Amino acid sequence: MKAVIAENLTKIYPSGKKAVIDTSFTLEQGEVFGFLGPNGAGKTTVVKLLNGILTPTEGICRVFDTDPAANPVEVRQFSGVVTEHAQMYGDMSGLQNLIFYGTAFGLSAAESKTRGIDLLEKLELTHAENRKLDTYSTGMRQRLSLARAMIHRPKILFLDEPTSGLDPESVQSVNNMIKNLAEKEGTTIFLCTHQLRYAQEICSSYGLIANGDLLAAGDLAKLRALIFSGLIVSIKSDRCPKDIAFTKTGEMDYEIKVDSEAEIPAIIKRIVNEEGNIYNVAARRLSLEEIYFGLLDKRNAEECSGKGAKND
Amino acid sequence: MINSKQIALIKKDIRAVTTNKRLFSVLLIVPLVMTVFIPSIFIIIAGVVPLDSNDFQSLIATFNLEDMLDGDLREMLIKIVLNELLPLFFMMIPVMSASIMAASSFIGEKEKRTLETLLYCPLSLRQIFDAKIIASFLISQLVSLISVAAMFLVVQLEVFIILGVLIPVEISWLILLLLVSPALALTTITIIVRGSAKAKSVEESQQRSVFMVIPIVLLIVMQASGLQILSVWLLFALGVICALVGFVLLKRASANFHYESLLL
Ligand SMILES: Nc1ncnc2c1ncn2[C@@H]1O[C@H](COP(=O)(O)OP(=O)(O)O)[C@@H](O)[C@H]1O
Ligand SMILES: [Mg+2]
Repeated sequence: MKAVIAENLTKIYPSGKKAVIDTSFTLEQGEVFGFLGPNGAGKTTVVKLLNGILTPTEGICRVFDTDPAANPVEVRQFSGVVTEHAQMYGDMSGLQNLIFYGTAFGLSAAESKTRGIDLLEKLELTHAENRKLDTYSTGMRQRLSLARAMIHRPKILFLDEPTSGLDPESVQSVNNMIKNLAEKEGTTIFLCTHQLRYAQEICSSYGLIANGDLLAAGDLAKLRALIFSGLIVSIKSDRCPKDIAFTKTGEMDYEIKVDSEAEIPAIIKRIVNEEGNIYNVAARRLSLEEIYFGLLDKRNAEECSGKGAKND
Repeated sequence: MINSKQIALIKKDIRAVTTNKRLFSVLLIVPLVMTVFIPSIFIIIAGVVPLDSNDFQSLIATFNLEDMLDGDLREMLIKIVLNELLPLFFMMIPVMSASIMAASSFIGEKEKRTLETLLYCPLSLRQIFDAKIIASFLISQLVSLISVAAMFLVVQLEVFIILGVLIPVEISWLILLLLVSPALALTTITIIVRGSAKAKSVEESQQRSVFMVIPIVLLIVMQASGLQILSVWLLFALGVICALVGFVLLKRASANFHYESLLL
């Protein structure tokens, strides 16, 4: 069984805004899926579709074989959601909030309390468990939201911008928790963020979305293959061999694309043989950010040529 | 009918009011003024002011008691106040408490952005809707009950101290508590809820309760000016009509309750 299936999913808001356009992707169980795109790309809309808060204009989606549009209550029973806008009760303490949400998910009050105390400890909020939520900082609230979303041990966790407003240390502890959940408990994670670098740290596969349009989906290797799967070698040197294709990125900095590491020694030898001084060599693969913008450029180019062809 | 998740929501809503001292005292102060403070003043006037004073004579004139000039006059007057005027004042109580409660329970959640979190819980909109109606309803009935209990306690005590007798309570109070008060609360809640999609703030939506308050004020004015319209039958009819209107409105309101209209 797939954790998530989306087929030709389209959502047009009553205002006429096309927030998600003909999007298809699947998610395996236990995956940490990064759903990435800038603000307004349509990420939150997809989360709402997958939880039956919104119904698709066209297409279908399934979460663990359940149709959220037809059975929203069933889906929400095994999914946990953290979104930026979902607040908790300010006049209740952190623990009281967790106990309430536990019981709202069908746990007994006693179970909710045990589970709540446990989660508060994991998220380093034990010191504030009896303080009213109104006195919490943004980071503390965000962590409490995570605890809230996990109170009923969901099979799938939707995290919409989970680290916005968190300081670097909290980000680290949230990351560890996400990794733990996926590895030890097999929880599927659907993580929406506009911070591509952050996503690359913890995700195992990705969906890249822009203006409601899914550019590509898959693991990093698959996405790289769409642009360039080889290595980029950065060399700092006072000369560069003339017959090798390179891009100059600084006064003495060059970037050379190669298919594999095996090609690097030959390039270095050539420079040395031509009496060049080498100060630094580093090889890396395309980052998620570069892939994203590469795909975006490609998409724009296709659209331009498509329009051009029509005009002709 | 009601599952444990809904009960959790009902309890949360009720606790939100009863543990919020400011809100709870607002909810209780006006009812207690109407059922304890105002009646007490009446009783003291009726029980203490000399029979031949101008004030007393005008009271007698208002209630058409000119031909009853024996010693029971004071007691008679108090009886009329208790059984014919106070019931109308009392009708304000379920209306006010239900509107405050429904507004904070529905629009309050929207305003504080906790509604979205609730929507991600495994409860259908219909279940959330029902739970919130029940919570508002129970609170309004609790406030009504507290007010009536306080009223009987204080009024009877005062009458006993001043006149040495207890005033018999009429059946109209039973109709009020069991039929009119629930029916008024139900109608008020649905009126508030129907406006909740459009209302931007708790205060704005509470203002819709004037639709309920104005008819009651009219009744009070008519009654106090000596028309003596109030009877057990009128109360009963009022309660039944109000309950029917409430039910119809409720059905239509819950049909209009959609995710998309709530979040947009
Ligand atoms: N309720 C709504 N009505 C109309 N347009 C909306 C609504 N919600 C979101 N949008 C629009 O849909 C687009 C996608 O929004 P959203 O899914 O929130 O993006 P993201 O989460 O990626 O930032 C945005 O252009 C946004 O303005
Ligand atoms: Mg968003």
